[in-house]
Amino acid sequence: MDARLTKFDKNMSAVCFAEAGEFDTAKEFLAEKEATAKQPEPAGKKKPYAGMVIFGCLSLLGYIALITNQKLVTEVFTMGGWHAVYPVGTALIFSFVHGAFASNLLSVLGLEAKKH
Amino acid sequence: MKKLLFIILGALLILPMVSTVYAGGPPPKDVMKGVFLSVDDANRTAEFKKSGAEGTTELVLGADIQPGDVRLNKKVMVSLDKHAGENVIKSIDIMFMDMTVKKIIALLVIGLIGGLLSGFIGSGGALVLTPAMMSLGVPGAIAVASNMCHKFPKAMVGAYKRYKYGQADIKLGLVMAATAIIGVQIGIKIQKYILNHFGNAGSNLYVSFIFMIVLVFVGGYVLYDAYKLSKGTDEAKVSNLALRMQKINLPPMMYFKVAKVRISAWITIPVGLFTGMLAATIAVGGFIGVPGMIYVVGASAVVASATELIIAFVMGAWGSIQWGLSGLIDIRLTLLILAGSLIGVQLGALGTTYVKDYMIKLVMASTMLIVAVSRGAKIPGYLADLNLRPALEPQMAHVLSQISFWALVTALASAGLIISVAMFRGMTQAKVEARREEIISHG
Repeated sequence: MDARLTKFDKNMSAVCFAEAGEFDTAKEFLAEKEATAKQPEPAGKKKPYAGMVIFGCLSLLGYIALITNQKLVTEVFTMGGWHAVYPVGTALIFSFVHGAFASNLLSVLGLEAKKH
Repeated sequence: MKKLLFIILGALLILPMVSTVYAGGPPPKDVMKGVFLSVDDANRTAEFKKSGAEGTTELVLGADIQPGDVRLNKKVMVSLDKHAGENVIKSIDIMFMDMTVKKIIALLVIGLIGGLLSGFIGSGGALVLTPAMMSLGVPGAIAVASNMCHKFPKAMVGAYKRYKYGQADIKLGLVMAATAIIGVQIGIKIQKYILNHFGNAGSNLYVSFIFMIVLVFVGGYVLYDAYKLSKGTDEAKVSNLALRMQKINLPPMMYFKVAKVRISAWITIPVGLFTGMLAATIAVGGFIGVPGMIYVVGASAVVASATELIIAFVMGAWGSIQWGLSGLIDIRLTLLILAGSLIGVQLGALGTTYVKDYMIKLVMASTMLIVAVSRGAKIPGYLADLNLRPALEPQMAHVLSQISFWALVTALASAGLIISVAMFRGMTQAKVEARREEIISHG
C-alpha cells in the first residue's frame, strides 16, 4: 500500500513539475521510479538452470562414451610413453565440463558460500 | 590476474613434461604388462604377449601359481621372480577389473564423500580412495596412479572455489608446490624401486606401512590440538614452533599475504619436500602439507587447507604425467571418481565458510586415525604374501579384511557426517543472523 502511494505521489509530482516547465526535475522523479522497480530482481540471483542442463547433458554423454568404449580406453590409454596425454587430457576435459555442471547444480540447489 | 597465474603455472609445468614424454618414461623392469594367449598345464608354461612388443614370450609358472590363475586375453601385470630363474612368474594381477553396477555406484559414492573431504580439509580424498580402490580389487600401483590422475582436476576446481572465498594463498601454494615436485620425483623413484624388487605385495605393504605411520602420529597430534581448541574459548593461536620458525631471519625471506606470515623460504622447503614424497607414495601429501603449514609455517587451518589444494593441483598434474608414462592409469576409475568428487569438492569448499577453524582440524584428525586402523589390519596379510610371516589362517584373514573394510566405511561416514552437520548448523545460524540484521536495519 505504502509503495503504491509513493509511486502515485512521484507520478503526480512529476506531472506537476512538467506542467510548470521543470522538465529535468520531472524526469528525475520518473527515473527514480524506474530504479526502484528494477531492484527486486538483480541479475546475479537468477538460478543457472540452463547451465546445469547443458553441462549435465555434455557430461552424461561423456560418461556414456566412456562406459561403452571400455576396451579402447583400457588398451590405448595405458600404452605408456606419449600416450600419457590421453588419460591426463581426458581427466582435464571432464573436470571442466563436469565441474561446471556441479557448480551450477549446487547453485540451483541453493547452496552458496557464506558472505562476509 | 590470478586466473592468468594459473595458466602461466600450467604452461610452466607442461614444458619439462614434454621432454620427459619424448624420453619414453621409465617402465618397471621386473613387472611386465600384457596378455596371456594360452597356457600349457602339463609343462606349466604360458604364452605371453607383452604390450607394445611384436612376438610372444614363454613364461614359466612359479611354484605358487596354478594354471587356473592365468586368465587368458585379459590385460595383466606380471611380476617375475628373478631368483627362481629366467621368466618365472611370481604373481599375476589383473590390471583392469570388470566394472559392475555395484562397483560403479561404490566409486561414485566414495568419490562424492572423498571430494567433500578434500574440499573441506584440503586433501584426504585420496586417503580414502586409494584403500577403497584396493578393497575393490585394484592393484596398489594402479590405485595410486588412477587416484593421482583424478586428484589434479579436482584440486584445481577446489582451489579455484576456495580462492574465490579469499582463503587460498597462491604464493605460499606455488612455493610449496615447487619443492613438492622434487619430493614427488623422489617418492616415485622409491615406489618404482619397490615395485621392481618386491612385486605387487611389496608395493602394497610399503604403501600400507607409510599410511599407518603418518596417520597415527600426525593424526594423533592434530586431534590433540583440535580437542584443546574446542575446550578453550579463545581463537586458534599460532603454534610455538611456527613462531620460533618465523623468527629465523635467513634470506630469502618471504611474505605471504593471505596466510599473514613472514618466513624464510628455507623453512618451507622441507615441508614441501615431505609433502611431495608422501603424495607420490600414498597419493595424500596433504597429511604432511596441511599440518606442516599450520604448525611449522604458522598459517590458520582454513588457509592451510585451501592452499593445500593448490599444491595438490600442481603435483597431482606432475605425478599423473609420470604414472601415465608408465601406462598405469585406469581412466575408467579416474573419471568415475571424478563424477562424484567434483560435486563433493565444491560442497566441501563452501562448507568451510560456515565453520570454525578447529572443526577442520577435528575432521582431519578423526579421518586419519580411523583410516590408520583400516590399513593396519591389512599389514599381516601383506607380510604373509612376502613370506615374512607364516600364512594367515582363513578365519583370521577374513576378520582382518572385515575390520579393514568397515573402518574405511566408518572413516568416510563419520567425516561426511561431521562436515554435513557442521555445515548445516553454520548455514542455519547464518540465516538467523541475516534475518536479525534485516529486522534491525528495517527498524
